[in-house]
Amino acid sequence: MAGRQSPWHNQRVESSTRLAILSPLVALGAIAAYVLFFRVAVVRNHPEGYVVAFAVATGLAVLAVTRTRGRRWPAWIALGFSGLLLIGGAWFNFVAAQVPDTATALHVGERAPDFTLPDASGRPVTLADYRGKKPVVIVFYRGYW
Amino acid sequence: MAELQGLGAQLSEAEKVGVEIVAISPDPNEQSQKVAEGLRLGYRFLADTDLTVARRYGLIHARGGPDGQDVPRPATVVLDKDGVVRWFSVSHNFQVRPDPNDVLRAVRAL
Repeated sequence: MAGRQSPWHNQRVESSTRLAILSPLVALGAIAAYVLFFRVAVVRNHPEGYVVAFAVATGLAVLAVTRTRGRRWPAWIALGFSGLLLIGGAWFNFVAAQVPDTATALHVGERAPDFTLPDASGRPVTLADYRGKKPVVIVFYRGYW
Repeated sequence: MAELQGLGAQLSEAEKVGVEIVAISPDPNEQSQKVAEGLRLGYRFLADTDLTVARRYGLIHARGGPDGQDVPRPATVVLDKDGVVRWFSVSHNFQVRPDPNDVLRAVRAL
């Protein structure tokens, strides 16, 4: 480390610190953008976007670690933070959030199965009652998504 | 819920009168109904507490819930006036839902 005192090296330390700061900011920015624009269909329907952002953040942290000549801990903390988000995010999107295929009773051109269910005030609602009156959009949902 | 808010925001007043949007979930729906009324969305929230209807439609995600319980596969179905399926979409990733524009296109094509 003979050149540690040279201005050239100081600049290198600075740029790696900047990368170490940028890395978690990119990762946190991706989370914030996903939550903020959750109701925008393009954002919600491309959850792999946050995984890509975590990968970019991890890449920046790797760059920071390899370029650091002085204090190494900011770069390592950035790598740990972004790396864990990358692993967690990839697992969530590509494993946990997957919904296995099922044989549905839905066939275009065929009548949907009838049902009667209570509404929010407890009154029974029967699908067949709309027949001849109104088109119906049925949305099966769960939780916040 | 977020999906329903997106869909409601895109439905014109005329279409809201002409189309019934029925939201089926095993979740307690009093809160959902309040939210929908607050947003002036003309939805009916139906309680499928024991998943009977989800099962009838073949839309069960076995042990997919946070506590390992069965939950419905997220799905959107467009029926015409005669109750015939004209369009549907079933999710393979629970974060992903049909684009409200696609649903509206199917509704307008009726």
